[in-house]
Amino acid sequence: MRSHQNEFSVGDLLRIVGGPLLFAAICAGVLQAGARVGTLPAPRPAFDADRAILLHQADAARRQAAEVVLIGDSSCLMDASASQLSGMLNLSVLNLGTLSYLDLSAYAVLLREHQKLHRPKLVVLLMHPEALRRLGSETYQLAVLTNYLAGRDHSSTASAASAFNAWAGVDIATGRLLRWIPAPLRGDYGTFYGFTTDLERYMTRHSGSAIDPGQEVFKGNPEYRLAPTLEKASRAFRTVLLPQTRLLVGITPVPAGFAHTGFPDERNRLLADWADWLGTTNALRDLPATLPDEQFARVTHLKPEGVPGYTTSLGETIHRHLP
Amino acid sequence: MLFNSTVFLQFFTAFLLLYWMCRGSLLARNVLIVVSSYIFYGWWQPVPGQWDLRFLGLLFASSTFDFCVGLGLEKLDHNPRGRRALLLGSMLVNLGILGFFKYCNFFIESFATISNQLGLGIGTRTLEIVLPVGISFYTFQSMSYAIDVYRRALPATRNYLNFLAFVSFFPQLVAGPIERASHLLPQFERPRIIDRAMLQEGFWLLVWGMFKKVVLADSLAPLVDLVFNGSNTSGPATLLATLAFGLQIYCDFSGYSDIARGLARLLGFDIMWNFQLPYTAVNLRDFWRRWHISLSTWLRDYLYISLGGNRRGPARTYFNLLATMILGGLWHGAAWNFVLWGLWHGAGLAIHRAVAGDSAAAARRGRAVAVVSWTGTMAFVFYGWLLFRARSLEQVVTLTGSLGRWTAPPWIGSFALCLVVFALPLVAMELWQRKTNNLLAPLRLAPVPRFVLQGALIYGIILFWTREKAAFIYFQF
Repeated sequence: MRSHQNEFSVGDLLRIVGGPLLFAAICAGVLQAGARVGTLPAPRPAFDADRAILLHQADAARRQAAEVVLIGDSSCLMDASASQLSGMLNLSVLNLGTLSYLDLSAYAVLLREHQKLHRPKLVVLLMHPEALRRLGSETYQLAVLTNYLAGRDHSSTASAASAFNAWAGVDIATGRLLRWIPAPLRGDYGTFYGFTTDLERYMTRHSGSAIDPGQEVFKGNPEYRLAPTLEKASRAFRTVLLPQTRLLVGITPVPAGFAHTGFPDERNRLLADWADWLGTTNALRDLPATLPDEQFARVTHLKPEGVPGYTTSLGETIHRHLP
Repeated sequence: MLFNSTVFLQFFTAFLLLYWMCRGSLLARNVLIVVSSYIFYGWWQPVPGQWDLRFLGLLFASSTFDFCVGLGLEKLDHNPRGRRALLLGSMLVNLGILGFFKYCNFFIESFATISNQLGLGIGTRTLEIVLPVGISFYTFQSMSYAIDVYRRALPATRNYLNFLAFVSFFPQLVAGPIERASHLLPQFERPRIIDRAMLQEGFWLLVWGMFKKVVLADSLAPLVDLVFNGSNTSGPATLLATLAFGLQIYCDFSGYSDIARGLARLLGFDIMWNFQLPYTAVNLRDFWRRWHISLSTWLRDYLYISLGGNRRGPARTYFNLLATMILGGLWHGAAWNFVLWGLWHGAGLAIHRAVAGDSAAAARRGRAVAVVSWTGTMAFVFYGWLLFRARSLEQVVTLTGSLGRWTAPPWIGSFALCLVVFALPLVAMELWQRKTNNLLAPLRLAPVPRFVLQGALIYGIILFWTREKAAFIYFQF
């Protein structure tokens, strides 16, 4: 028995499927053309906490003048309160710490961007021992940052799917048109901040600082060392600083119960080597190497309750290095 | 295999090609449908990265059992007692399998809780049971066949292959619609006519269903999670998240049902509409005529009517409504909040029946009354979604209590903006469908506007395709 009877022509089939696909292709073409001609808004793909923080800091680096710039990894972002420091030092303070797995080359990009328009007196570089032993930036986040600063869409052709997205203008549409829709954050970040736009608003209100709302069991290896690539990256970072800008460098604290017993001395040795590579004698040795466990949200970040105490120590230490 | 996955697109493309190549033979096409449906089902990995083909065996055994029951019922044509015993046996086996996989741990845990509360302290251990995807759907579909044969509403089929195809038909295997054998089974037995209108309808449903799932439901999901997976105690947040969940579950499930019907149309089949604009319902009874129609009619025909329906006086009718809806709630999952959801709707239907009179009279009451009635119905239905989505009874209490606290978190504006953005396409489409009284209203457009509409939806799907994909909510049921 025949299985079916077709009562349509190939032309019908082409019209039913081909017409809509043609219009979708026209959409892609219009977006590509719009991006080239510059009729579309600039790309701003801040669709999660990492990228929202990164792009906020890129904007802040351009927009906000400050006498003291804090720069570094997520421990710089979460442990140091820029507004509290500003009150203590009676100077304008901007925190340009980032959440993503970035390294000194990315901080150099942010600092260079800031210095194009502004002249900070002091740059305070703060990193956690975990970040110091990491070999380099996550290339994806670094590309997000550099593309954003250059006003380019963040596209990739690494896989067939991403090549299709680039061809179809998906990156253009998401980065330039869907940028107006806030993205809800996951987990504790969602509960505390809500959406990407709310996280950015919080950071703007707090001069670039954020807080870690989570709580995680301490895990990882407490044997810290400096990554072999850090020396070259540090020397390169030094060249970005303006001649009149003073560089201070510090290592953020580790939970006392997690660090091994000789950690404070080891921290000082690491700090001395790192400061040497950065070409500065201003190593913040007075900062606490460890703090009580209960002040930490995770190994790398303090809880909100731990931030004021640590910021006070940081402010006093910075004060001693002011001219 | 998820409809909203690249692997499914590849699977369906290959399937269509083979289906076209088999066009000369009904048998070959039905063999292809069965084999492909089993591949589709077997693709599901209960533990990510690990294939588990045992559940294919369960699907096969369940189908084979009900096929044999059908033949047995026909053989016992003049033996009412034997027929009754065979049907009871069939139901015991089907519900036993469903009960084991779906409710075993629920009853163990509930027993342990009650025994602890009574101070008996009886220690119990739950079993490590993986719930096979779609088991509630295919078990009900298979059971309805046996009941229909018993009721002589349908002759037993002697074609084993067609019966396997009926139970496992991949467009509707894992999340319905729960088809009746009298409607779907004969379609495997006769040549299928595929015309231009069917192709047009199938393609439109595929696109619109996919848009509802990939763009709307999956974008609403994280909004809902923000409140229901967090520790929210704000009334406005609860209210908006409940609205968002009502839209999410509708877009998710009706999206799946539209895709299922669309796929079936492309293959020359007709499967039932599972949703008929449920959020335009003006009373609860109306809502249940429009929401998950295949389940609500199943429960009506095989449970409510079997319990006596409305033939044994008002008190018994209310009891039947409550029992049917509680079991309907429990069908969704083994948790007390589903029982509560069923009880909520059962009570609502009973009260509506007692006070509202017949729906024709209600319809004549004018526009203002209709608006008030719609508002009340939606408030009732959406509070039901709060019960349905809550992770525990404690959360039901917390969230219900929060509705009295009108302090909003700082992110409420962002939440409202997202909700409006992702609700708007659905609201616009449904208003159009309601105004034209036609679920396929877009197909009435002239070719160019239709291409523009469908093309824009396809582009939207492409835009959101790479975002995090969620399984269909009803897969877990």
